[in-house]
Amino acid sequence: MDISEKIIESTIEIFTTMVMMDVSVDGPPLTASGTLCDTITGMIGLAGTHKGVLAIHIPNHVAIAITSSFLGMDVDEINDDVRDAVGELANMLGGNVKTILTQNGRDINLSLPSTIAGHEYGFKATTDVDLVILPFKTEQGRFLVELQLEK
Amino acid sequence: MGNNVLLVDDSSTMRKIVGRSLRQAGIEFDNIFEAADGLQALEVLEKESVDIVLSDINMPNMDGIAFLREKANRANMKNIPVFMISTETGEDIIGEAKSLGAVGAIKKPFTPDMVNEVLGPFLK
Repeated sequence: MDISEKIIESTIEIFTTMVMMDVSVDGPPLTASGTLCDTITGMIGLAGTHKGVLAIHIPNHVAIAITSSFLGMDVDEINDDVRDAVGELANMLGGNVKTILTQNGRDINLSLPSTIAGHEYGFKATTDVDLVILPFKTEQGRFLVELQLEK
Repeated sequence: MGNNVLLVDDSSTMRKIVGRSLRQAGIEFDNIFEAADGLQALEVLEKESVDIVLSDINMPNMDGIAFLREKANRANMKNIPVFMISTETGEDIIGEAKSLGAVGAIKKPFTPDMVNEVLGPFLK
């Protein structure tokens, strides 16, 4: 099983067991995340034997729906709850990627999760990286999970 | 009689989810205390009667491992059982947590049934 398949497995498990929302793969992997519009990105850094970043890019309206389902309460705007929930999704995905890349847990360190949001922005590495960008769909719309690993 | 539980996680979302999972697992409790890092957790343990602690590992200010180390040095709290709830499930990290007094670990993501299976035997 390659890393893409494991990230797909992890994403579906996280959404099924904790967010209580059905997600499925929405087509083949992408080669770039492109321009992100009205989107919030949760990300977590990896350092050690593997260096890089795991990010989840979620359009605002999808992030609001995800947070509402995650917390079991109505959310109607991008607020601290949404930023925290998206950061935690990145954290769980990053933890799973760490488990995929290392068995003993000590040769890769994870950063604390952070989020960025904006009307229009890009998410690009400044070094040469291997990219995995996977699209997923929910009833409310599409989101991307992106892994950048330094070559 | 229920239980007093302390949830330690820098994510307010995750504290809510863990609390919800405890309720969905049918675990009775009197109080759920919350802390956003190890330092806050120590403050709660100094002031409140807590039966069990559920703690993340990767946190700012004082992470879960440093929290366990500090707690082990305080006689008034060293015997309170701690379970790690974390994405960090590598054998080295969990082994270190257990060597510092953690009695078990639950991997994120988790279900209420998983929480009940691990915590049930330790709760009243």
